[in-house]
Amino acid sequence: MSHYEAPIREPLVLGDKSYHDITEDIAKPIEGKANKNWYMAFYISLAAMLWGFGCIFYTVGTGIGVWGLSKNIGWAWDITNFVWWVGIGHAGTLISAVLLLFRQKWRMAINRSAEAMTIFAVFQAGLFPIIHMGRPWNGYWVLPIPNQFGSLWVNFNSPLLWDVFAISTYLSVSLVFWWTGLLPDFAMIRDRAVKPFQKKIYALLSFGWSGRAKDWQRFEEVSLVLAGLATPLVLSVHTIVSMDFATSINPGWHSTIFPPYFVAGAIFSGFAMVQTLLGIMRKVTNMEEYITRLHVEYMNIVIILTGGIVAVAYATEFFIAWYTGSPYENYTYLSVGAATGPYAWAFYSLLFFNILTPQLLWFKKIRRSFIWSFIISIFINIGMWFERFDIIAIVLSKGHLPSTWWRFEPTFVDVGIFIGTIGFFFVLFLLYARTFPVIAQAEVKTILKSSGEFYKKRREQGIPTKPAINVVATEGTSDKKDKE
Amino acid sequence: MASNKKYWKSVEELKDSSIVETLSKNEFVEEIPTDQFLGDKETLENTSTSRRDFLKYVGFTTAAASLAACEGPVRKSIPYVVKPNDVIPGVADWYATSMADGYDFANVLVKTREGRPIQIMPNKEANGTTSARVQAAVLSLYDEKLRLQNPTKGGEEISWADADKEIGAKLNELKEADQPVVLLTGTMASPSTSKIVDEFLATYPNVKHVVYDAVSESGAADAFEAMYGQRALPNYHLDKAKTIVSFGADFLGDFHGGFEKQYIDGRKPETGHMSYHVQVESNMSLTGANADKRIVAKPSDVVFALINLYKEITGVSVPSNATPIDAEIKQLAKELKKSGSKGVVMTGVNDINAQLISLAINRALGSEILGINNSLNIRQGSDEQVEKLVSDLKSGNVSGLITYNVDPIYTHANSSVFAEAIKSLALSVAISTENNETVNASTYALPASHFLESWGDTHFTQGNYGLMQPTIQPLFNTRQLQDVLLKWSGNDTKYYNYIKAFWSSEILKDASWNTALHNGFYTASVDTVVDNVVTPRDISISDVALLLKRSVNPSDFELNLYTKTGLGDGKQANNPWLQEFPDPITRASWDNYLTMSMADAKALGFSNPVKDNGAIDGDYAKVSVNGVSVTVPVMVQPGQAKGSVGLSLGYGRTFGLKEEMQVGVNAYPLYTNSNNIQYGVTIEKASGTHKFACTQVQKTIAGRHDILKVASLKEYKTVDPKDHHHGWNKPAYVSYDHNEVEANTIDLWDEHNREVGHHFNLSIDLTSCTGCGACVVACHAENNVPVVGKNEVRVGRDMHWLRIDRYYSSEVETREEAKELGLSRGETYEALETEAENPEVTFQPMMCQHCNHAPCETVCPVAATSHGRQGQNQMAYNRCVGTRYCANNCPYRVRRFNWFNYANNNEFDFNMNNEYGKMVLNPDVVVRSRGVMEKCSMCIQMTQATILKAKKEGRAVNTDEFETACSSACTTGAMVFGDVNNKKDEVAALAEDKRAYNVLDYLQTKPNVIYQVKIKNTNEA
Repeated sequence: MSHYEAPIREPLVLGDKSYHDITEDIAKPIEGKANKNWYMAFYISLAAMLWGFGCIFYTVGTGIGVWGLSKNIGWAWDITNFVWWVGIGHAGTLISAVLLLFRQKWRMAINRSAEAMTIFAVFQAGLFPIIHMGRPWNGYWVLPIPNQFGSLWVNFNSPLLWDVFAISTYLSVSLVFWWTGLLPDFAMIRDRAVKPFQKKIYALLSFGWSGRAKDWQRFEEVSLVLAGLATPLVLSVHTIVSMDFATSINPGWHSTIFPPYFVAGAIFSGFAMVQTLLGIMRKVTNMEEYITRLHVEYMNIVIILTGGIVAVAYATEFFIAWYTGSPYENYTYLSVGAATGPYAWAFYSLLFFNILTPQLLWFKKIRRSFIWSFIISIFINIGMWFERFDIIAIVLSKGHLPSTWWRFEPTFVDVGIFIGTIGFFFVLFLLYARTFPVIAQAEVKTILKSSGEFYKKRREQGIPTKPAINVVATEGTSDKKDKE
Repeated sequence: MASNKKYWKSVEELKDSSIVETLSKNEFVEEIPTDQFLGDKETLENTSTSRRDFLKYVGFTTAAASLAACEGPVRKSIPYVVKPNDVIPGVADWYATSMADGYDFANVLVKTREGRPIQIMPNKEANGTTSARVQAAVLSLYDEKLRLQNPTKGGEEISWADADKEIGAKLNELKEADQPVVLLTGTMASPSTSKIVDEFLATYPNVKHVVYDAVSESGAADAFEAMYGQRALPNYHLDKAKTIVSFGADFLGDFHGGFEKQYIDGRKPETGHMSYHVQVESNMSLTGANADKRIVAKPSDVVFALINLYKEITGVSVPSNATPIDAEIKQLAKELKKSGSKGVVMTGVNDINAQLISLAINRALGSEILGINNSLNIRQGSDEQVEKLVSDLKSGNVSGLITYNVDPIYTHANSSVFAEAIKSLALSVAISTENNETVNASTYALPASHFLESWGDTHFTQGNYGLMQPTIQPLFNTRQLQDVLLKWSGNDTKYYNYIKAFWSSEILKDASWNTALHNGFYTASVDTVVDNVVTPRDISISDVALLLKRSVNPSDFELNLYTKTGLGDGKQANNPWLQEFPDPITRASWDNYLTMSMADAKALGFSNPVKDNGAIDGDYAKVSVNGVSVTVPVMVQPGQAKGSVGLSLGYGRTFGLKEEMQVGVNAYPLYTNSNNIQYGVTIEKASGTHKFACTQVQKTIAGRHDILKVASLKEYKTVDPKDHHHGWNKPAYVSYDHNEVEANTIDLWDEHNREVGHHFNLSIDLTSCTGCGACVVACHAENNVPVVGKNEVRVGRDMHWLRIDRYYSSEVETREEAKELGLSRGETYEALETEAENPEVTFQPMMCQHCNHAPCETVCPVAATSHGRQGQNQMAYNRCVGTRYCANNCPYRVRRFNWFNYANNNEFDFNMNNEYGKMVLNPDVVVRSRGVMEKCSMCIQMTQATILKAKKEGRAVNTDEFETACSSACTTGAMVFGDVNNKKDEVAALAEDKRAYNVLDYLQTKPNVIYQVKIKNTNEA
């Protein structure tokens, strides 16, 4: 019984779907015309992106002084945004790699978009370390490449350098993983395309996928290998990002708890962003039957778990700051000093958005509600931004020497660049939604018979689960995949 | 001038111009055969230039022309064709000279590079000291905006010769008519100039010389004259003092004569001798900040307290009033009596009677500290004479006014009298280095040479002479006053020859001119000084006290006018270094403000909220005195006496200044009768919010006492510094293997062997640091530190490599105290963060600590900052990509980022944006571009130069030969730099001293900057 799945499990694909229906559903946004909403969203995002690019050009042309930084606060929104976007980029790999290794079938409906989100988020994240440099045109000096500057080498002690390696590795592995999964789906689009130009493009993108058994075998092998490679990256990237802070000596940054806490926080925020994006996408692209309440609930469960870890980490930080008895720990971002100081609003925002709101997800009704999940996911996104802002700005605002205590206020350029990256992200995502198969249809087809509502019902009723309509597997699917 | 001459090219043109006219109408004399050329189709068709070729030629020529136009701007640097003998490119020449600009007087050394003076340092051999203003004076030399460049008459340029002729004629005319003319100068303290002036007055008997000091000390001089028969300021030998009581005399901040060295010499805990200094004052002055005890009182009470002290000391009853501080004064009297001749009293009240009482107390004590025999000549202005001039001007009794480097229209309370009268004078001449309102109002404006371009001599204290010599050719078409006056007196001698002859005959006697010029000073032999001993006259102090009492008019608010350490009387208001220099007390730059006590501010609703961008705002107050009112921003000042307000002079100057420098409010209109205390002040809240530019916002140490260690003299003498409970210099302890061990016994890293070669340390003695800030400006000059302007300082982007942190004490100093008081955690923080109403003040110079385990070095991704073999933390600007991670990881926050291009940028139109201002740049130090981090380099260019010099001379580096700009500028010896591997270097012993500690030693960054615990003599009383 290769297609058997316990009837107690909820179906992952709703409705009376055949393989062909899946193909049609997934290909529709690509082959059809975009609606008004898409254009509106696209133009708004594009405008935001261009505004952000303008702010970036202004910064690079004039100097970092156009931001709100000062002698005592050398980082603020730049690195906050960087860590926030990297964190968001975490869910994709977790969903596609870790859940693949754990054979979680529900990932199949969401992994494509989650991975796309990862890559687009890492693009945004990658912008900040470059533009936050005083001399970004010399940014390539952080790469350990042979050079003619008297063979100057990079400083391998520096966590910023580790960042360079971690992020670039993460981006490249994610990209390869994503693309590998896309090959059969691109092939499907290619085969359906009627316009020669479109056919040509998708032919190029699908790397000549032919759907042979050998293709499938290699596909499976590569997926598995990449999943194995990517899994440690899920942990490593944010571990290393956290070391930017943890290996420094600022009270509030210098904390051994940071690596696991950051990883948990990253998955927390990543799932929240997936929740946000899919909440919109399932409506816009009519994928309601593939991204179901069950998916939402599963993601919410991950959010509760990682949110719990984060909450425990906050409590630990708060406790340790108090327990050290050191006057230098009085004003760390989780301390009485922060709760009573000028950044109290940011402190309480963090607690409200990141600790209180996710607790609502303990209620099944809320957990399974699309709209509640959507709202809570946005709250978490905000909360996680505040977490990074608090860590950076509050800590830097109260350095070791009281004479150096200062405050940070963003300028319009700070805000503009952040909004610009959000715009850029959505521009990429919207273009993706119109040109890429947003659901890994090849994979979803593999679970149709085991987890599709139609087949499950039939099995329950004792009707043989032969497909009602026979679909020849020409569109890049294979029954081979069903063998598990 | 029309000419009748006719020029001709040919005879035809001369004789018959008709043919020439015809010809000139035809451009081409012969017809051009265009028809022939264009009509010849055959040849045209045979030409090989096709259309393609034509386009090619056009293309090439266009490209070539545009390429030729693309040449970058050419900047010529012209090498010496014939190298001057005494200029070696790359080697600095030092000249000993003196500064005397009418307000600041100092024996200095001037560093010149390739003929350009680039730095001023104290001439320590001459006991010279420098303040921030003296240090910064070198930049005023290059002030092309404000300095007068050519003689002008009514705004039109004229030649010196014409000016001499016209003014000479005018003077003679006035002399014939016996019309009074006044020569108004500041204090010059120059014997040869006095003689020249006398000769000038002899030539023109109708001329009267009036000395006018913008900030007057006339009262002190008059009192000294009344008692000791000599018009000068009393000198104080504070190094020998046991008890110093100052009634509002800011002898450390209001720099005149450099008391800080002697003061600190008398406060060395190691020697066991430490004076007990009590300051009775209303404003929080730099001197008060350094005092062992500060008694706060309103100005009127300060004056009464002075009289009451006299009563207590002498037991003679004199008219006075009771004050709230009488009990403390009684105690003080006891203390002073105990010290006897080692006690001294001084007062800063510019009133002859107050000064007389102060002198009388010193006489009663038999004070040896009061130096009668070497009084100070640096304030000779007489309020009486100036007032007479004002009334004469009003009544039209003056026909001519010659001013030299004074600006009464800006600095005098009755400036309108000057402004009005000067217009109707028969002759008004302003000889001035800088443009100002008085210069503008005068008919003739004659540019005077800067002191760095001039010859001259000085006589600051009796018997101590100094010489001034030019360190650069005059930049502009200037002359110095002495040459001008000599010429007008009909003496054709050059001043250089004059002064040489004068010194040989009058001062040097047998000594050599060359030696004196080389040294920059000459001390007259003892017997000449002894001649000056005078017997004091007896004055009825009872009468004096009555007069004084009558002059005091206690009121709800009393204003104490003062001068700021940075700008002084405002002479150098166009100097960006001084404008950006943060006030040592308030740490505000680019501003003056009304200092107000916390209690008054609360009652009147004034506050200084900290904005979200870290900057401080203030409310405006309308201050009215004697019918004059000004609107000034309020700065709430801890330690300000309730019922008093302070306002600094020297700001609000606008005429001729760069727009950026036109900051603050002019307080001179309130300076009625040159009295620094004004009674009957009313204060109203005015609308609007003022934006301050403060470099420090948090005022207290917030319970972090291992940053700033302070101990009393008694503790220093009796308590083991490392004692676990009461130790005053406890090292940091950490837990290691479950044992508490000293933090410096454990280490993550293997140490390099630091015994090899030089290893530099800088020791900073917090006991000796008065916070004067001379080092801050010295660092500016030495290291080409950019000026960023008010708006940037406001948002926390000052570029100072060296800053002086100022901490006020709080009512609750430690968490233990707070616990005893039963405060909650939040309340504890608030208590620790809030400054006391009348706090103790501590200064802490802070610069790169050059950590041997530097947190900045590990985090730079491109290894732009790394450790030098000699202990410096080095910064490779060229390699820096500007991630600012190093700055974030620096616990001392001493790294400074170039947020913008500060050189050649019109947005930052300071000295690095014009050709003259750039002449002050030190060629040994690169000017940083935007996007790179910079910080203190421990003056590596200076230490390397020292090493190379020794190497060239084939010797080892001498003991204490190494110096940095800050350590050479520090006159109190608070900063000592040297090589700890040379055990004879002073710093080697200091590094081992029991007072030595590192800031934040719990971090074990192992800094190469050592601080010495501040010892206060608080147990004496």
